[in-house]
Amino acid sequence: MSEQDIFTERVSGVIGDRIAGAVLLALAVFAWWYSYTFTTGFMQPVGPGVFPRLVSIPLGAFSLYLILRPGLNQRWPHRAALLRQAGALLLLGVYAAFLGPWGFLPTSLIALILLIRLFGADWKPSLVSGGVLTLSLYALFEFALGMPLPDMPGLNW
Amino acid sequence: MDILAYLAQGFVVATEPQHLMLALIGCALGTLIGALPGLGPVNGVALMIPLTFNFSLTPTAAMILLVSIYYGCMYGGRISSILLNIPGDEPAMMTTLDGYPMALKGRGGEALGLSGVASFVGATVATIGLTLFAPLLVGFAIRFGPAEYFALFMLAFATIGGVTGGSLSKSFVAACLGLLLGTVGIDAVSSVPRFTFGWFEIYDGIDFIVALVGLFAISECLVFLEDIRHSNKPTMKLGSAIPGMRTAWTCAPTITRSSFIGFIAGVLPGAGAALGSFLSYTLEKRWLGRRGDFGNGDPRGVAAPEAGNNAAAGGALIPMLSLGIPGSGTTAILLALLLSMNITPGPLLFEQQPEMVWGLVAALFIGNLMLLVLNIPLVGLFARVLRAPGWFLMPMVVMVAFVGVYSLSNSAFDLYMMLGFGVLGYVLRKLEIPTVPVVLGLLLGGQMEYNLRRAMAISGGDWDILWNSGISVGIYAFAITLISAGLVYGWLVRQRRIDAG
Repeated sequence: MSEQDIFTERVSGVIGDRIAGAVLLALAVFAWWYSYTFTTGFMQPVGPGVFPRLVSIPLGAFSLYLILRPGLNQRWPHRAALLRQAGALLLLGVYAAFLGPWGFLPTSLIALILLIRLFGADWKPSLVSGGVLTLSLYALFEFALGMPLPDMPGLNW
Repeated sequence: MDILAYLAQGFVVATEPQHLMLALIGCALGTLIGALPGLGPVNGVALMIPLTFNFSLTPTAAMILLVSIYYGCMYGGRISSILLNIPGDEPAMMTTLDGYPMALKGRGGEALGLSGVASFVGATVATIGLTLFAPLLVGFAIRFGPAEYFALFMLAFATIGGVTGGSLSKSFVAACLGLLLGTVGIDAVSSVPRFTFGWFEIYDGIDFIVALVGLFAISECLVFLEDIRHSNKPTMKLGSAIPGMRTAWTCAPTITRSSFIGFIAGVLPGAGAALGSFLSYTLEKRWLGRRGDFGNGDPRGVAAPEAGNNAAAGGALIPMLSLGIPGSGTTAILLALLLSMNITPGPLLFEQQPEMVWGLVAALFIGNLMLLVLNIPLVGLFARVLRAPGWFLMPMVVMVAFVGVYSLSNSAFDLYMMLGFGVLGYVLRKLEIPTVPVVLGLLLGGQMEYNLRRAMAISGGDWDILWNSGISVGIYAFAITLISAGLVYGWLVRQRRIDAG
């Protein structure tokens, strides 16, 4: 988001900003060094490596500033929240891998039920709304919008 | 009277049945997305872009749809601000200050009606401004060469985030990161692969849309997962929105002033709608002084930010269409859509595709009327959406993101990339590093480099060409002025916070 939310809780960013600054500084140095491998056969006033180098200078400078003068961060998530987020990412990663080969309907049904569960609903509403949502999204994408969704193997739906 | 002739031509384009239909869908969808807490215009438009690609809409039709969603989000954002005290999007933040107290007093319906009218006036003022001023800016920009364009891009980066009071150094870091990410892929001039490390999937560069949906939609879900016990349901009685229109009449001076302030805030590159609503609210508060009861449910405290943010949303379209530099996060995304359809916004767009530009402007006038109808008599329908629980809405957002991105190229790689950008966006948000400059860098980096190299090719390798013309010096001076203004403004905000304790 571009604009700051004045209502969110904010904490000191000494650790967070310094880690981020270090990572970005390393990235800038690496980009500078690596851009020398971009070589062309013919001479140009500005070769393919110049622009990345031009960008990595301010990137490095501002990262250094971030390390030296860290600002504020938003409150970092607690352990329970981190577990939920990691779970969601894992689930979505697996979903991404199986969406193509297994087809939209079975994978989305399972993914949605588990996802709704992760978002805090009980099993019963998860099963019901997961099913309803899968079918209505299928109807929406496949029939109303005419987007080709991956089919189940051996079946045309 | 050229403008009127063009505008008439635009109305012919905008009233084609398909375009009218898309405007209506966009307005309704936008209001809906805007009303949902946490989903704003940036997320809404980002989520819809992959879908528009699938319908193979013409650029004009796609723009009408997305800009209607954009305007709709600006209207919808106020609904959850007033009823739940949660801003549906960031520009709607100021509306909570007086909107929620009004709702607590049982005047929620009135506040919705009033803010609907204020939004309409603000957006209409901005659209008229767009009609009048965009062609002027175009006439000026037609003389721009590559060096001037390079300066213009510098201006866009120098000012994005700077004026809104966030950390200036953090938005610069974000912009540089985006620019660096934008160089990934095969260099168009020399055909050398850059930063691809042998992954053929990114030889075409990082797909902008994939990055966008990840940075906004997926990261929003991760934020939501932090605290899943969201139990904010509107409980108070809503009442009819119609009396709000009478209230709006008594607030007419406020609405007028705020519309103009918001419009100016929107035109400034990098400022956007949040600044528009913030400025209108604070200036109106100061203007009225003791005559106002701001913070305790003063109707003018609802009218001012709503007129301001809608006017700013329209104003932000001016630099986007006429110069090709976005004035806000959402216009950056709209710009991305145009670029990915091989249309370069800027002065030439007005010459080469007037039917598109003016069709869009006319569609905005029509869409505004539709939004007025959707948002005053029918506002109760949208308010009902707020009763849907988060565990239902957020997974739906994820599904739309997945299907949209997957259908672009049917590759799981894009989905992983989207998830990766989701994590990146989330971490950046926690660090209070804004994500919009990243998007902007990723998007404009290619154009910026292209203009730099063209300028250097013209000058034969002499870097002086970049600051050799009056126009580019003027642009750099303007950028420096805006940055200084941003620094002073940020300092003032901090002072006030210290004063307030």
